[in-house]
Amino acid sequence: MAGYQSMIPIHERDQHVIAAAHHILKALGATKNLSDDMRKILSDLDVHLSIMSNGGFIEVEKRLKRAEVKVLSWESSQTMIWDSGSREVSEYLEAVVEIQTVKQSLGGLSLIENGKVKECLYRANSVLQMAMSRLEEELVHILVQQKQYSEPEYMSFHSCQEDIVYDESFVSVEEETYQRVSQNTDDVSGEHIVELVNPHVIPDLKTIANVMFASNYDKEFCEAFIGVRKEALNVVIVGMEKYSIEDVLKMKWCTLSSEIKKWIWEMKNIIRVYLVSEKQLCNKILGEFGSVSSFCFVEIGKATLLNLLNFGEAVTMGSIRPEKLFNLLDMYEVLSDLVVDIDSLLFEEMGSYVRIEFHELLRKLGNYARATFFELGSAIVSDTCLKPLPGGGIHPLTRYVMNYIKALIIYDHTINMLLEDQEEKDCSITCQFLLITSSLECNLHKKSKLYKEDALSYIFLMNNIHYMVQKVKNSELRLFFGDEWIRKHNGKFQQHATSYQRATWSSLLSFLSPVSSSILKATTPKERCKEFSIAFDEVYKNQTQWSITDPQLQEDVCIANLQVIHAYRSFLGITRITDKHIKYSVDDLEKLLLDFFKGSRRSSHRR
Amino acid sequence: MPATTEYQGSFLGRISIRRNQVMNMDGNHDQELEDIELFQRHIADRFADLLSSSQQQPSSEEASTPAAAVDPFLSINWLRKLLDVFLCCEAEFKAMLIMGRDPSQISKPPLDRLIPEMLDRAVKALDICNAVTNGIETVRHCQKLAEIAVTALEQKPFGDGQVKRAKKALNSLMMAMTGEDKEGGSYTRTWSFGRRGSAAAASNKDRGHLHLRSHTWSVSKNWSAAKQIHAMTANLQAPRGNEASGLASPVFIMSTVIVFLMWTMVAAIPCQERNGLATHFPVPKQLVWAQSMIALHEKIGEEWKKKEKKGSVGLLDEMQRLEKSAHSLIEFADNFQFPAEEERVEEVAAHMAEVADTCRKMADGLVPLQMQIREVFHRIVRSRTEILDVLESTGKVSAPIV
Repeated sequence: MAGYQSMIPIHERDQHVIAAAHHILKALGATKNLSDDMRKILSDLDVHLSIMSNGGFIEVEKRLKRAEVKVLSWESSQTMIWDSGSREVSEYLEAVVEIQTVKQSLGGLSLIENGKVKECLYRANSVLQMAMSRLEEELVHILVQQKQYSEPEYMSFHSCQEDIVYDESFVSVEEETYQRVSQNTDDVSGEHIVELVNPHVIPDLKTIANVMFASNYDKEFCEAFIGVRKEALNVVIVGMEKYSIEDVLKMKWCTLSSEIKKWIWEMKNIIRVYLVSEKQLCNKILGEFGSVSSFCFVEIGKATLLNLLNFGEAVTMGSIRPEKLFNLLDMYEVLSDLVVDIDSLLFEEMGSYVRIEFHELLRKLGNYARATFFELGSAIVSDTCLKPLPGGGIHPLTRYVMNYIKALIIYDHTINMLLEDQEEKDCSITCQFLLITSSLECNLHKKSKLYKEDALSYIFLMNNIHYMVQKVKNSELRLFFGDEWIRKHNGKFQQHATSYQRATWSSLLSFLSPVSSSILKATTPKERCKEFSIAFDEVYKNQTQWSITDPQLQEDVCIANLQVIHAYRSFLGITRITDKHIKYSVDDLEKLLLDFFKGSRRSSHRR
Repeated sequence: MPATTEYQGSFLGRISIRRNQVMNMDGNHDQELEDIELFQRHIADRFADLLSSSQQQPSSEEASTPAAAVDPFLSINWLRKLLDVFLCCEAEFKAMLIMGRDPSQISKPPLDRLIPEMLDRAVKALDICNAVTNGIETVRHCQKLAEIAVTALEQKPFGDGQVKRAKKALNSLMMAMTGEDKEGGSYTRTWSFGRRGSAAAASNKDRGHLHLRSHTWSVSKNWSAAKQIHAMTANLQAPRGNEASGLASPVFIMSTVIVFLMWTMVAAIPCQERNGLATHFPVPKQLVWAQSMIALHEKIGEEWKKKEKKGSVGLLDEMQRLEKSAHSLIEFADNFQFPAEEERVEEVAAHMAEVADTCRKMADGLVPLQMQIREVFHRIVRSRTEILDVLESTGKVSAPIV
């Protein structure tokens, strides 16, 4: 009790000191040559002193009380402040600022031991906690309610479209064209900033950030902000299912191929649209707080990006098969396109881990694509079969290889880039194309040896080389192969056509020869005519089964075959064999010759 | 054991030099046996180190004087050591398996079966690495929440406001810790919406939406860490008879090391679907090189059994510490009345110091841990590719190996 009584005089003495200090401050403040810093110190002191003086402290208490009432009034309310109009919002924020001011001025007091001041400070802290907790909820509420995102429009992905499908026998290849994914998605070729939250709430979010940061509640703000935004970003990529690496490695190629197309789309979409927008959102709200903005951005985007990169990793772990090349080139192209974006999004130290992962995947994809490109050569060499292709038509391997390289043209720049990286195996895509076609020719020659009849193996070579020439001539491939190659190969298939003529007709023509060869000396024209007919029947039976798919080429060969007609006509003219000994008239023969190579019709519809 | 460092550095060099000699001498078995023995000794030594460091666990936690620089068992730093051990073993193993070796040797029985099995484990391990890396994000979230609590109670003297702030953060922390495995792991972000439970019907809808979508797993929904570990262990069998002296032995050892590492990480770090994580370790006790590993396995297994039922957050030392301190602090906060009793304040200060210390360790160690796991990931990928390349060159593997 005695202690309590003695406190009063001390308190009174304080008041005297405070009054004296006020006077001194005023006198000092009147001095003209004061630095700004000095002035600040003096004005702070003034505030402190006014709190310490009895009347001032009461004023402070009143202010706190008012703010407290405001904060408490919302505690029991079911509605959100930001849903209740701007007046409510600004009143609430004013209250929070009041508390902060009170807290700061009280906290700076040396008279913290003073029971009243202490209690007041505790109360301020308590109300501040209430308000901050509330603001955190309001923040989450606004972020969730005002979230905006345009549902991304997906391209339609066929689960297994007519790609260049490779299987052991190269059979399932037709004249399809490979659709390059990256070209179809040009809609996201540039940065495209979208509003991730309704733009009119940005100032509100910024205000909440400022207030929470000023109250040292920055961690709460960041965790809440990161949490909501991270979920939002996660929702964006629901279009792509999440796969484990094991899933990807076990996936059938056609499924994987369509997943890759989604991935490519997703990659562009996430980086060029969502991450760019996300970074902008972070900057708008947190730009004033230095590295906090980029910290939040990295935290929001990291997991999503890493998940996408992991899918890429899984793809590069698969076996090397030529048919994968197009997808791999697409993947490589999209990543090398996006490198600039990633480098600028994650240029700071915080995102470097993800950035490095991105570069690493790009490097791996490059290596993988290059190895896959070279794999075509080995696949051609190792494509062996024991049975000849019936009819001597165009071999699936020829179709496959030519369509394959034709489809690669659009990637020439990328492939050249990949080939440049390689030191030993130099030379450009052109050179690689020439290597590929010459090993294809080599393989075709081997395959032609499988035929028992020479004539058929010539037809086979003629058909296939003609096909190669046509593919080159009628596409951009001609720019790579050049006129010289085309001329040379025109010559080649024509040579095979000539060889075919000779192989087919030379023995038959010998029956019709006016000068009898030594073997046929004994025979009469009648017999020779009969033998010719028998031999022709044999040729007819065979060659109507053979195929020449190209109508023009078929016509050319048939016309060349008409030389037999001339020989036959003159043979009949010279020998004057009576009609009853003639099996075929000239007209008959001409008609029959036109039936040749019709096998092509049937076989071409075989598919 | 002191000899460990002596040959660690030169191991790869020795292998390759010897291998060249061996090649000329047409398969000298003695050299190979010596290599294998050396490998086994290194395994034994490295795990013995890990075991001994985990036995020196400071029993008096408060007395963690500067001298006690030992990393606690299953702490972040301890895990990083384990990852280092793995990386070393892996490098040695690969050198022994493929460096300078005639590829046909590793495509013969029983390796033609054992190596694909090992590669299959490698792929599963990669998915576990990703799941664990993801789990570390949860741990980091917990760290952030704990830091809030520290910030709050750091201010002295603290009153109702600070205590409430800390309590809110700690409650979120506990939710983040225990929310695991529910709804496919929607715990990555747990919001304390609680108080305004009925807020508005509209926002309720969104809240549910938020929770449903909130799993940020790196892998597919049905993926389960426990199942993966089980699959990795299922066909793990110690080589017997003649096989035990050949290359089958290091293949088994390496598989064991990888299974042990993955299992430990899954047990330590929050991870998708750990229910029913097996504690069986199919390694015969008589194998000398495996002694320390088996001992560690038993130790971790016991811990796991103890904690599993409580919806454990994982055995990571730092998380366990946070959990313990958080419990006490929440209890304190629940009964808090202003002004705090002096005694209680001291108690709280001790807990806060512990939490602050743990947060510091997490801040220092979690990101490097994540990066190290990524390094392991890349290493496994690379080795798998290299081994496949060797197998491919023998032409024996035509079908792609998963």
